Amino acid sequence: MPEVLSVEGLGKSYTGVRALHDVSFSLGSGEIRGICGENGAGKSTFVKILMGITQPDSGSIRIAGRARDIPGPRQAQGMGLGIVAQELSLAPHLSILDNIWLGSAGVPLLHRRQALRERAQKALDALGVGDWDLNGRVGALTMGQRQIVEIARLLARDTQVLILDEPTATLSDSEIERILAVLRELKAQGRSVIYISHRLGEIFELCDTVTVFRNGECVATKPVQEVSREGLIELMLGRPFDEMYPQHHANPDARNALVIERLTVPGMVHDFSAVAPRGKILCVAGQIGSGAAMVTRAAAGLLPDAIGRLTLDGKTLRLGSVPHCVARNVFFLSEDRASEGLFPPMKVLDNLVATRLYAHAPLGVLSWRALRRIATDLAERVGVDRNRLGTAAVNLSGGNQQKLLFGRTLERTEPGVLLMNEPTRGIDVGARAEIYRLMRRLCDLGYALVMTSSDLEEVVGIADIVVTMYRGRTVARYEGERIAMSTILADITHPAEQAAR
Amino acid sequence: MKASIRNDPHFRPLVILAACIVLLSAVDWGQWRFLSAATPFSTLQTFANIGLVALGLGLTMMIREFDLSVVGMFGLAGCVAVMTGAAHPWFGIACAIAIGLAAGIIQGLIMVRFALGSVGVTLGGLLTFVGLAHVLTENRSVPYDNFRVALLVNEPFAGLLSVRSGVSLAIFAVVALTFGFTRLGRDIIAIGSDRRAAMIAGVNVDAFIVGIFAFSGVCAAATGALLSYSLASASPAGLSDVLVPAAAAAILGGVSLGGGSGRPLGIATGALVLAVLRSGLNAVEAPPFVNDIAMGAILLTVAIGDGPYLMRRLRQLAARERTDR
Repeated sequence: MPEVLSVEGLGKSYTGVRALHDVSFSLGSGEIRGICGENGAGKSTFVKILMGITQPDSGSIRIAGRARDIPGPRQAQGMGLGIVAQELSLAPHLSILDNIWLGSAGVPLLHRRQALRERAQKALDALGVGDWDLNGRVGALTMGQRQIVEIARLLARDTQVLILDEPTATLSDSEIERILAVLRELKAQGRSVIYISHRLGEIFELCDTVTVFRNGECVATKPVQEVSREGLIELMLGRPFDEMYPQHHANPDARNALVIERLTVPGMVHDFSAVAPRGKILCVAGQIGSGAAMVTRAAAGLLPDAIGRLTLDGKTLRLGSVPHCVARNVFFLSEDRASEGLFPPMKVLDNLVATRLYAHAPLGVLSWRALRRIATDLAERVGVDRNRLGTAAVNLSGGNQQKLLFGRTLERTEPGVLLMNEPTRGIDVGARAEIYRLMRRLCDLGYALVMTSSDLEEVVGIADIVVTMYRGRTVARYEGERIAMSTILADITHPAEQAAR
Repeated sequence: MKASIRNDPHFRPLVILAACIVLLSAVDWGQWRFLSAATPFSTLQTFANIGLVALGLGLTMMIREFDLSVVGMFGLAGCVAVMTGAAHPWFGIACAIAIGLAAGIIQGLIMVRFALGSVGVTLGGLLTFVGLAHVLTENRSVPYDNFRVALLVNEPFAGLLSVRSGVSLAIFAVVALTFGFTRLGRDIIAIGSDRRAAMIAGVNVDAFIVGIFAFSGVCAAATGALLSYSLASASPAGLSDVLVPAAAAAILGGVSLGGGSGRPLGIATGALVLAVLRSGLNAVEAPPFVNDIAMGAILLTVAIGDGPYLMRRLRQLAARERTDR
């Protein structure tokens, strides 16, 4: 297999903190290489260097055998490298066509628009979405559809090495299947793929080889047939792996905390009913766009259009009012931590106590001694290093950021309800296990947890009760032993076919 | 009405312009003060005062920045042109434009190199340029003795245009064509829409920031120079009321402070709305404050119309009506 990309001794530090150290890597033509590692392992820095977004402190990069400097994304593109970044690089105000060619080195100042349109159409056809309107605005597309436009962009530009950073984190199963099929097709054409994912199932399903990063170093590269799932996790963690999902504790006296009756969100959720008992995890499972994420948002008071009846411990919960929900200890943890959860530039301490300032401000003057004491306690309880209370939240890993949000909901007069969308999105495998343990601890304290997740392995592993949804409607409810991946998958993808059977 | 027409970025400014013309015609009905041959000329003269400044400022707003320094540059360039262009008017214009270009490039480079926001940098620019104008003119008005040029720049030709308004319209036309038919327009919208995304996609974001602030500086300088020629004098503090109308024109023209929306022809239409309003209200002999009230009312209406709440309520009402039926 001829080598298309190789890297020797790559190193990078940020203000004295080592992000990459002596990384060597090579990729063959027609190879799909998985890259795994915990958050902060150096994967993103590595990719940023390859794309010219960040410059390395040391090392060299060879593309098709020639030593190259990559000063910026535009130059990387000219060398045949292209990326589908974790945070998408599409301009919502522009059309699909304009986004496909945005910033392309191959588009002259005065160009033949018809020729570009034809090439873009071909790329969409190859992805099985040839019926999309090229003039349609990207802002109107779902996250999954945007991901597909990103890949179409790379196809249209004839990219030889495609780098995909967590491409499936926001996709539905059918969209994931489509993308995996396209990547296999690209491999058959002799193109190479670097596939970064926390979802190990996809690594084993798609990749030929896998490289593991740990603490900024490249610790192993192996063919996927030669490594087991547990072996891969242990390589990522650098230590033996404990059980991912903690034991479900039987809780026969579980009182019904949150009762949702006939919840409807126009155009998104129709007549949804479910009960979330204390001490248990209720998971609303559905593909992106199924309405599952809207159920938790509506219950948190975030959707003013929602109608229906919600009660908490027998008392009515007003829809469409976040302050009302928060006053009754109903908290929401968004799937988008950066823009809907944390205050990224603020300190860990400030983030932890952000929702309880009024309770510790006698005569309106903040008692920082009390707040610091509470923040220290909360940090310990959720497993965040107390020495990092002064660090800006943006500098924490995804796992630690999620723990901060959990921390905000603790230490209340009575246990409440946690509504969570995708609680482990973008969180590495080690931190995931900690989050799951934390969720169980909250159950033991008497909290009722309601979550949505597009990761079926997670749904089956952590949920006590699963309600499946398809196109805004409830399909079925499962509890305990009846929770199985095959039935959930069938429910959320083709419920009609299942019913016919 | 077809959705494609309704969603066209030029649709709203054109509707506002038409509404203003209809309203002023109704007020003036039968008296032929607004509906007279003089109104288009005076409208385009007012357009020439704010149009290009609105264009430069609007482009900075499209990339989610804001050029406050246009006010200072407007006045400084006027003073420079008047002081250097008495014998050679072209030389005066060239000096003014060179200063606008240099100032825009310097401000852009400061933002890019030090990763700074535009409001702070251009506020500094504004104060610096105003100060420089006071220093250059020794704190007094400067007369422009070349009356031939002063008359020429305002001389009507074809009964409609003057040199000033012709230059403004020509520059708008060039920018609109460049924006619509080259890569540059899409790159600008992309930067305002999501700067990081544009950068990863391969757009040279830094070059665009510097270039757009340079263009904004040139626009403000050219307008200030020509206006000072036409007034036959320049004053360090005399031309400070351009920022609000220019920003208003950009917003009426469909530019959002959040970036990523707007088109040059939209800005031109926005500036025309303000020009029609000013000329029309003058023609119907309304007191001067009525212009400010009318402009404020239009802006407020546009802001409420742009907000998500009103649209959501209207959609809900429409849906309810359909259900009832």
